[in-house]
Amino acid sequence: MPSPRKIIHVDMDAFYASVEQRDDPRLRGKPVVVAWRGARSVVCAASYEARPFGVRSAMPALRAERLCPQAIFVAPDFTRYKAVSRQIHAIFARHTDLIEPLSLDEAYLDVTDAKSGLPSATATAEAIRATIFEETELTASAGIAPNKFLAKIASDWNKPNGQFVIRPSQVEAFLTPLDVGKIPGVGKVMQQRLAKLGIRTVGDLRTHPRAALEQRFGRWGGRLYELARGIDERAVSNERELQQISSEDTFAEDLSLEALEADIRRLAGKTWAAYERKSDEERPRVARTIVLKLKTADFRTLTRSLTPQQPPQSERELADIACALRGRVELPDTTRYRLVGVGLSGFVDADSHLVQNDLFGDAP
Amino acid sequence: MQFGIQREVLLKPLQQVVGVVERRQTLPVLANLLVQAQDGKVAFTGTDLEVEMVANIAVEGASDGEVTIPARKLFDIVRALPDGVHIDLALNGERVALKAGRSRFTLATLPASEFPTIDDIELVERVSLPEAVLKDLMDRTAFAMANQDVRYYLNGMLLDLNEDTLRCVATDGHRLALAETALSSGVGSRRQIIIPRKGVMELIGLFEAGDGEVELEFGRNHLRVRRGEVTFTSKLIDGRFPDYEAVIPIGADKEVHLQRDALRAALQRAAILSNEKYRGVKLEVSPNKLRIIAHNPEQEEAVEELEAETGVDDLAVGFNVGYLMDALGALAGDKVQVNLRDAQSSCLLQSSEDDRIRHVIMPLRL
Repeated sequence: MPSPRKIIHVDMDAFYASVEQRDDPRLRGKPVVVAWRGARSVVCAASYEARPFGVRSAMPALRAERLCPQAIFVAPDFTRYKAVSRQIHAIFARHTDLIEPLSLDEAYLDVTDAKSGLPSATATAEAIRATIFEETELTASAGIAPNKFLAKIASDWNKPNGQFVIRPSQVEAFLTPLDVGKIPGVGKVMQQRLAKLGIRTVGDLRTHPRAALEQRFGRWGGRLYELARGIDERAVSNERELQQISSEDTFAEDLSLEALEADIRRLAGKTWAAYERKSDEERPRVARTIVLKLKTADFRTLTRSLTPQQPPQSERELADIACALRGRVELPDTTRYRLVGVGLSGFVDADSHLVQNDLFGDAP
Repeated sequence: MQFGIQREVLLKPLQQVVGVVERRQTLPVLANLLVQAQDGKVAFTGTDLEVEMVANIAVEGASDGEVTIPARKLFDIVRALPDGVHIDLALNGERVALKAGRSRFTLATLPASEFPTIDDIELVERVSLPEAVLKDLMDRTAFAMANQDVRYYLNGMLLDLNEDTLRCVATDGHRLALAETALSSGVGSRRQIIIPRKGVMELIGLFEAGDGEVELEFGRNHLRVRRGEVTFTSKLIDGRFPDYEAVIPIGADKEVHLQRDALRAALQRAAILSNEKYRGVKLEVSPNKLRIIAHNPEQEEAVEELEAETGVDDLAVGFNVGYLMDALGALAGDKVQVNLRDAQSSCLLQSSEDDRIRHVIMPLRL
């Protein structure tokens, strides 16, 4: 049996808010909310001083303002956040080459064969956090475990400015009493569906056979079965493959599906422009899949995608397909939408520039 | 509900009915077969809400009743039982007991009331033609149907009927296949219906190359075909099929005649070195000669030369080699006629001897 892997999940504490507090002494010790001004903007980050009021990231900014009127609202400045993120990445790179950034403030590291030569993953995580504080004056939390799933849960355990280890022998005991809501990907809706089956903890989940979970939840059911047993084989992958290029927009007022056309075409233009910029790079990649994303007025998110035989060749084609994908939305006509996005994904190497002609002029 | 039946009597109709059941369903009951026993006959129904297949089989010692049983499991059990065995099926409460020889199975059920069936269709027209002919038309065109295209009306086969002909047409927007036959009694006025892809595949599986007649019954939104003990019903695709006649090239005056098998074999070899994704090959025509050239991203090259009957000089057109081979495979006869115009225009392939089967392919811009 191969020796278990050692994975660290590093998560910066209230990252954007902490950067703002570091750079502006007047904000220190005060509730800070990083968000744009606007009726529909959402909270990007909230300082720990704002959290006792119930302010959380991703909640509508207006709600945050109601919960914590004394909070200081700061507009996000991604240029600075990106600079700090690069600094942190450089610190990771001293310990391992297997780094998988999840966002500006989060990354998985595989330190099974760490190049820093520290005696344990725990010591490595401590060293990384200490260096981050030294070089950026920011605190980070870390989770250390045999896989990504457990490491991610563990990093939240002693947050902020702490770390937590789950050793292979402790996995089962750790997971059994854990609330299923702690499993990444199990949100409120999923939690309710599980609760209907009497599943509240990961231990409860483990009593259900794989087939039963798969029948009820499809492929995700099989994944839940594995996660309940602490199984997660996903590798830490530093290949920053182009996953998706997309543009989305939240409207000032909710719109009907019909009325989205102009916005879809505008966003398709933005996405196409970004795609063309990427295409100029050394290794040209071709996107094969067109994705239309919608969020309803009551915050349900849906996506519809299409992979035509020939990758889209023009902005017009992208826009036409994205518009046509509305036809695959089965919600009632009265549904209103607050957000629409147009994306390209399914990237493959552009090893050819052949174009298949169409028989009919009306190809979408 | 209760009945007994020989394994061999049940197996084939069951296979046809189970074929309709999707492996992944939106409703649990769609994984089941509806089993209805009445007056010494049992009807087995499978559906995916679009295509429905019913098998009516005479049984022994039946008591009436209805229930739904897991389709795949029932079929797997019947198939795995030994030849010639007698099978007894009985509904006990919410379970069905299946006994055969020394084997016993207990299967879970769902109530028959939950099973969606297609009601009697409102019949608007009937057409009858030899079963082997219809199977042949479908066999030679089905490969060109689109699959999950947003142009939903392409994800199926057009049956274009008039007073004396039936045409089957399929296209994915890049190539088109057309096959036609004369009808002894057609329809009064032209009628175009689109059968969904799945229905087409099921029909092809259902038809046999014997010399029987098959009757197509058209409803406003359905097609029904009765064949022996099996009744097939499919919803029709509600959409307008593109004007396919307009894309059959008439100006493609550059004619080339080739041996069909030799051309197919040459394309097959050249395809080995074509680009894996676009599968492009270049056809170069010069007097009495056709050259096929393929390149891949590794800059490897294949060149095939064939004798051809043609006076055409200096024409080069690129095609997806898969489309060419599909079309050649669906043609009959020893010789094939290819009509080309220029590098941007579609080409027409048909047998040199008859034009009842025609294939149109759009070029690749190389």
